[in-house]
Amino acid sequence: MTALRGWRIFALLGVTAVFACLPLFLPNDYVLQVFFRIVLFAALGLAWNLVGGYAGQLSLGHVAYFGVGAYGMAMLYAHHVPLWLSVLFSALIATGFAAIIGSIVFRLRGPYFTLSTIAFAEVLRLSVTNLPAAGGAIGLSTPALFPPGAFWKMFYLSAVALAFVSFLVNAWTSRSRFGYYLMAIREDEDTAAAVGIDTANYKLRALMASAFLTALGGGLYGSAFQFIVPDSVLSGEISVQIAIITMLGGAGTLLGPVVGAVLLLAASELFKNKFQESHLLTYGILIVIVVLVLPEGIVGGLKQLFQRKTKPPASVAPLAATPAQGGD
Amino acid sequence: MSTILELRNVSKRFGGLRTVKEVSFTMDSGEILFVIGPNGAGKTTVFNLVSGFLHPEEGQILFQGEDITRSAPHVSARKGIGRTFQIVKPLPSLTVQQNVMLGCFMHTGHLHEAEDAASKILDFLQMSHLKDFEARGLPLAALKRLEIARALATKPKLILLDEVVSGLTTSEALALADLLLRLREWGVSVVGGVEHVMQVVMKIADRVVVLDYGAKIAEGKPADVVKDPAVIEAYLGAKYKEMAH
Repeated sequence: MTALRGWRIFALLGVTAVFACLPLFLPNDYVLQVFFRIVLFAALGLAWNLVGGYAGQLSLGHVAYFGVGAYGMAMLYAHHVPLWLSVLFSALIATGFAAIIGSIVFRLRGPYFTLSTIAFAEVLRLSVTNLPAAGGAIGLSTPALFPPGAFWKMFYLSAVALAFVSFLVNAWTSRSRFGYYLMAIREDEDTAAAVGIDTANYKLRALMASAFLTALGGGLYGSAFQFIVPDSVLSGEISVQIAIITMLGGAGTLLGPVVGAVLLLAASELFKNKFQESHLLTYGILIVIVVLVLPEGIVGGLKQLFQRKTKPPASVAPLAATPAQGGD
Repeated sequence: MSTILELRNVSKRFGGLRTVKEVSFTMDSGEILFVIGPNGAGKTTVFNLVSGFLHPEEGQILFQGEDITRSAPHVSARKGIGRTFQIVKPLPSLTVQQNVMLGCFMHTGHLHEAEDAASKILDFLQMSHLKDFEARGLPLAALKRLEIARALATKPKLILLDEVVSGLTTSEALALADLLLRLREWGVSVVGGVEHVMQVVMKIADRVVVLDYGAKIAEGKPADVVKDPAVIEAYLGAKYKEMAH
């Protein structure tokens, strides 16, 4: 993935554009809606990838930003903020929320960090459930971002746009100092600090960017389904789904979240039609397979397979007894 | 010569245990100073204090005249203190070159510039043939050098090498010692810490500070320090102190 430059980028963009347009010719809205969810979750996976993949911080509370995006959009609009501005503002609110949460939870490492992200998301869900101004457990109806005629087509295209932006952010990250810093934090925080990286600050930046994109996704989702309740847009299941999609595809890789979203959502959609709740079983089985066989996900595993040179040979050449001449 | 590092009565406590007791020493820029002492003497704690990974309860640490007693690790790193870890801490799934690039990023945001700078350092350390390998799975001798390479990449003024030769064979250790001598060419002062690889210390140290149970028991030229009765006692026991005289 490191050689993504020049004509290849344009080739990739062209292919993506063609594929992105194909579903527009689909005969019915149901299938288009499935595609909307696949692409939306690819975007969410890419957003999560910044924190969970590159920076290696296993957040299982991303639904908080998703929910702030959906609820913020609906509530701001109800207070006479223009429609698209309420989408943008709610994403900014989620970013601010991420700054506050992050400055607290990033004091913790490992499983404690993960648990605290879950806790924050649950606190938010319970607060909203008990907040009459936010509709409580009954929920809120959300404004439609697009007119009824081309409703799902427009939502689908918006999701494609969001996924595309998220992809670009990931692509830039993977080839920038920012991304290297995040990877250093993932691999060893002490080493990262020893080379001058302000680890808390960089984790926070990654989380804020991730929260902004996630909240835009939440706004789209909330509007597309026209009605939101805490159990739909603030449910912990969404956090888990986003994380699993990315880890199944390959956390810390560019294409991982996309591959994961397509596989997982398509699979669960197919099984859902046949066996109702069995899509949950699919998740379970896939998680077990990933953990056992492909700990680095599908894309990560394939990379390992095709880039054997990254593994050191059985015996590397011994280091020279005398150093080379001429230093700096 | 100007003073680059000064410790003034520095103490560090873990619970009831004082691992560093009122340690003071100064170091000139360009000097190679070794902190030595038996296992548990407090060497690593001193290194963690100087690099900001720990903060002392008492005392003061000055770097180029500036008080860095309470600096965070990344702040100390940016001021020019590079360090290696006793238990090597590579970034395992990154390549050797990428590991070193992370140090280079302190001075450039451009990937290609960081790659070039990293290649130069790997050349100096004779590790170029390893640059595309992932750090995980490299032999210890290579990982110890990688620690130095990464620290050197931040262009430090002072580099702290914690047990950088321990666990190596004698020939590996002496090869590395030659290299440490040449760190002066990079304008770096060196504080080394070793427990027992005295061949290296004798060969390259300008001066030695000896710690025992957290306190400084001797300081001076390597040849003088090894004859010091207190040092012999710390390393070998009181019996040998008598024999030495």
